[in-house]
Amino acid sequence: MTRAWDEFVQTFGNVLFAVSLFVVWGILTLVGVVVDQGKDPQVYFESYAAPIARAIVRLNFDNIYHSPWYVGIIGLILTSLAVCTFKRVIPARLPPLHPVKVDKIPLHASFEAAGDPTSIRERLADALGKRGWQVRKRIFDGTEWTFADRHNWARRGVLVAHIGFTIIAAGTTIYWARGFSGETAILTGQAAEIPETKAIVRLDDFAYKIQPIMTKSGMVYQPIDYVSHVTVTGKDAIPKAMTVRVNHPIDVDGTFYYQSSYGFGMRFLVTHNGKPVAGLPARTLMEGDSFDIPGTQRSVVYERLAPTVDKQSGMPSADPRLNDPAAILAVTQAGQSLGEALVPLRTSIDAGQGWQVTPERYVLYSGFQYRYDPGVPLVGIGAFVLLSGLIVSFYFLPARLFVRVDDAGSGRSRVGLAATTVKGYDVFENEFDRLSATLREQAMT
Amino acid sequence: MKMSLDEVLMITALGSYVLAALALLVYFFSRQEWLVSFGAPLAILGCVAQFAQLVARFELTGVWPLLNLYGSLSLFSAMAVAIYIGFAFKYKTWFAGGFLLALAAIFLAYGVTWNEGTMPPVPSLQSYWAKIHVPLVVSSYAAFMVSFVFSCIYLVKYYAEQYFEGIKVTAAFAADLGGMAGAAEIATNPALSVIANAAGVDLSRSVLRDTPAIQAAAASGNPVAQWLATLPTLAQLDNIVYRAVAIGLPLISIGIITGAMWAKESWGAYWQWDPKETAALFSWIIYLAYMHLHTRGSWRGLRTNWVSVIGFLSILFCYFGVNIWISGLHSYKM
Repeated sequence: MTRAWDEFVQTFGNVLFAVSLFVVWGILTLVGVVVDQGKDPQVYFESYAAPIARAIVRLNFDNIYHSPWYVGIIGLILTSLAVCTFKRVIPARLPPLHPVKVDKIPLHASFEAAGDPTSIRERLADALGKRGWQVRKRIFDGTEWTFADRHNWARRGVLVAHIGFTIIAAGTTIYWARGFSGETAILTGQAAEIPETKAIVRLDDFAYKIQPIMTKSGMVYQPIDYVSHVTVTGKDAIPKAMTVRVNHPIDVDGTFYYQSSYGFGMRFLVTHNGKPVAGLPARTLMEGDSFDIPGTQRSVVYERLAPTVDKQSGMPSADPRLNDPAAILAVTQAGQSLGEALVPLRTSIDAGQGWQVTPERYVLYSGFQYRYDPGVPLVGIGAFVLLSGLIVSFYFLPARLFVRVDDAGSGRSRVGLAATTVKGYDVFENEFDRLSATLREQAMT
Repeated sequence: MKMSLDEVLMITALGSYVLAALALLVYFFSRQEWLVSFGAPLAILGCVAQFAQLVARFELTGVWPLLNLYGSLSLFSAMAVAIYIGFAFKYKTWFAGGFLLALAAIFLAYGVTWNEGTMPPVPSLQSYWAKIHVPLVVSSYAAFMVSFVFSCIYLVKYYAEQYFEGIKVTAAFAADLGGMAGAAEIATNPALSVIANAAGVDLSRSVLRDTPAIQAAAASGNPVAQWLATLPTLAQLDNIVYRAVAIGLPLISIGIITGAMWAKESWGAYWQWDPKETAALFSWIIYLAYMHLHTRGSWRGLRTNWVSVIGFLSILFCYFGVNIWISGLHSYKM
């Protein structure tokens, strides 16, 4: 058991193992970028060769970010992060003071100066202290060593970054455990109850603004604004008038509501042998809804509203503004399409066997997303901590200077200097050269 | 035809970059110092003109200029040049300017092809986050382009060293150099002054540690090796790459976080697994791997520089591939 634990710690505490996990994480993430997510299996079989499509569907690559692979690799990374933190990062915070072989360290220098070793040591310690180095002295085997550390606190940068990553993961987990989200579309003048919160949202009015702009490539109809005026009744049972815009969500009892989409509902008049049929369809249809013609196998599908019909071609225009709207209707017989028609409002189409269908008038609806996420503050704190750790790690270089001063005889001392950093030697080479030159000067004076 | 102020500034920037790139490319091969005196001011002029163009565009139209590919590419090339100029002054790396400025000019010219004129932003882009998130992300891309250029130079020099090691130019001399490792030897060994004279470079400890075969070949008169010897040491190049990534990684991290905050405000969720988000995450993972690998002495150098190159390719995919070819919530081409 102990051996298995040691091997686990050995493996998961290895930086290269962590990097290997990053590689797998990166590849899985890239798969999700390249392969469309959340589509019907048929879409993949139409887009890819059959073996690839089968692999996509069977390996959950069609929903990769929620697949066992993806969740598993995140779990492994978090495990590795935890093991690395305890095995490598925390022990590295305060490396013990011990003597070194000065000339075996790539960053080393030596010089002689007039004076006894004690006074030279004092001069060097004083010079280092004035430059912000933390100076400590220790005696090993009768030889006094001076150790100087700079930015020692920055050794905690990696630890802070790891803690930040863990806090983000914790915040995300809180959403999975306790949060919820959903969507709802509400027709103007109607209300909807949010199942999770029992809040009532009534859409009083929805408006959108589109601006035609002539560009070098032609006319572009640029959306400028989507505005929903709603009345919301939350836990306090007091209706409140609020406005929802893109980028301006509303907060109702901690649940946020976002403007996400809009569309045109349609009211129909259906007649049979010239007589109106009440309650058919039973409600205002949303885009994509359909109703059945009684006594037949026929259905009428309200596909969408064409806000503007091009007068010359008689086809839907690219202009999304409401000028001369028409409904696009399709008729099906036992599930088979019989055809599609562009039907101007208040114009009838013959649905067969004496049935006439008339799109009477459109009603705007607004689509909302709602979300309750109690993990957001924690994710925010985690992001801040992660960034702080990254910045400390990248921009502050902890370095240790080893100074040994020996008696060289004739009233002179020999000074040996060496330096190590947490990021190797090259990164500190120029600074070390400047520092040794300064220390040499100080020792001479 | 009367040109607007922002068009004049854009042409100034593009022209300056092209001329500066040419001058510094010639400098890269010839090492004639007057070319730096010519190219560096042009690079600075182009960079200033570009930032001025972005400000002028904002002032003239009232529309935040970074909300389409044209505007973001403009900031991308301007930031890349600005970061590079900072590096060039600090680390004396004008030799790499030709490549970076050529890339900046290409991206800028490509961006101009996406200029459809002034358009008000769509509702989801009408947010103060646009003024925070976009510059951060684009600046991170720019820093990664700088790291990419230096990584490429690193790899060229590394493989040249392999080549010269392979042909064993003046093998005995190389062996002699290989045995030296310290500053004291450099100061006292006459062989080094031979190299220095032949290659016209200031030798240091790292040079000997890094590329003894190139130094040996340079000393024996090989012109390519003499030219290669004028480049910084591999360790210095690697250090520059690290510092550029150390600018880019925090920026892209903050960019992703601010993007998530914006997405939360705009779409209701701070992470939607949109292709752009996941492509940015992919790039972030690569550079995170770079930083972790860079802590390992045995991986620092060749491997980390390859990771840096792959990282920038992923940035290009994230920037162009996702914006142009993959539809999603971030498809703001125009």
